[in-house]
Amino acid sequence: MAKKTYDLLFKLLLIGDSGVGKTCVLFRFSDDAFNTTFISTIGIDFKIKTVELQGKKIKLQIWDTAGQERFHTITTSYYRGAMGIMLVYDITNGKSFENISKWLRNIDEHANEDVERMLLGNKCDMEDKRVVPKGKGEQIAREHGIRFFETSAKANINIEKAFLTLAEDILRKTPVKEPNSENVDISSGGGVTGWKSKCC
Amino acid sequence: MEEPPLREEEEEEEEEDEAGPEGALRKSPFQLTAEDVYDISYVVGRELMALGSDPRVTQLQFKIVRVLEMLETLVSEGSLAAEELRMERDSLRKEVEGLRREGAAASPEGSLGPGKMMVDLTDPNRPRFTLQELRDVLQERNKLKAQLLLAQEELQCYKSGLIPAREGPEGRRGKDTMVARASNASRDKEEKTIIRKL
Repeated sequence: MAKKTYDLLFKLLLIGDSGVGKTCVLFRFSDDAFNTTFISTIGIDFKIKTVELQGKKIKLQIWDTAGQERFHTITTSYYRGAMGIMLVYDITNGKSFENISKWLRNIDEHANEDVERMLLGNKCDMEDKRVVPKGKGEQIAREHGIRFFETSAKANINIEKAFLTLAEDILRKTPVKEPNSENVDISSGGGVTGWKSKCC
Repeated sequence: MEEPPLREEEEEEEEEDEAGPEGALRKSPFQLTAEDVYDISYVVGRELMALGSDPRVTQLQFKIVRVLEMLETLVSEGSLAAEELRMERDSLRKEVEGLRREGAAASPEGSLGPGKMMVDLTDPNRPRFTLQELRDVLQERNKLKAQLLLAQEELQCYKSGLIPAREGPEGRRGKDTMVARASNASRDKEEKTIIRKL
């Protein structure tokens, strides 16, 4: 009777300057849709998507943060629970690229030490407005030893790949453990394994 | 017999609106209006008529008419100028009030020191919630969203028949209560983990 909804629960976090497309990246991944209207995220939001990797059902709980400085104290309190952090910049916005070091410092200050990091250069469909060369993104990622993708939520480029790669990286270092009865809690910090429920 | 009632009537009029034709003559020259000048010319004209058609009276009448015309012009000009001044006074008064309000807003700002912000209490969009309140609201929203997602997932399971909606008659009651207990337990667990958040 008791079947589990998932084998593992991974908590991911999206950070980066306001307007780089964090919410759109997530919306593309979770709902395979895109919306051009810009609505600034208020504080923090989340979406859930279950993926299958190496025969394991992995529930991704993806937290979407507001890039605006005024939400900073709220958003940084969510770093701690994250197992993977996607740092997003906008290839058409030089300032958002310059701020990467600031966001990386935030990760160092507020996230777990072993958090899996990833850099995304979003809006890569807008080649005519590009101000950050792909090489610069690759370079800074190499310097910090993290993965890098150029993505487009609008044109659906590399979105799924980025999330799945991040999930795989987390899965790789996840110790094989008997799933316990941990629930899909929305708390920061906490278990990797999923709640065994009576369905699916 | 005829005169006293007439006077009474005139007096009544004066009492009523203080501006009978005769009343205009008793007014302060600074409050005189063009209307008063016409009243005066009516009164003077009536008295000149009573003097008869002596050519000297006619001569005088021309001069008086001229003088009254001059008075009318002066009074009209004067009232226009007064109206202009009144408008100017009102606009200056408003300006002073505005500056006074600005000054009142500016001076405490100076004493607030750096890093402080003034809030306009009349602004409907003024900030009025604390970060903690926002944090609580967001947490509650996300908690409800998590519960909704769980409920939707469970509903999907029922719809797809993974969880039978009805068990066989034997042991059905027992199983139902077990399921209910299990879901209660999971809900309790979830609430606890939610409470644990931050």
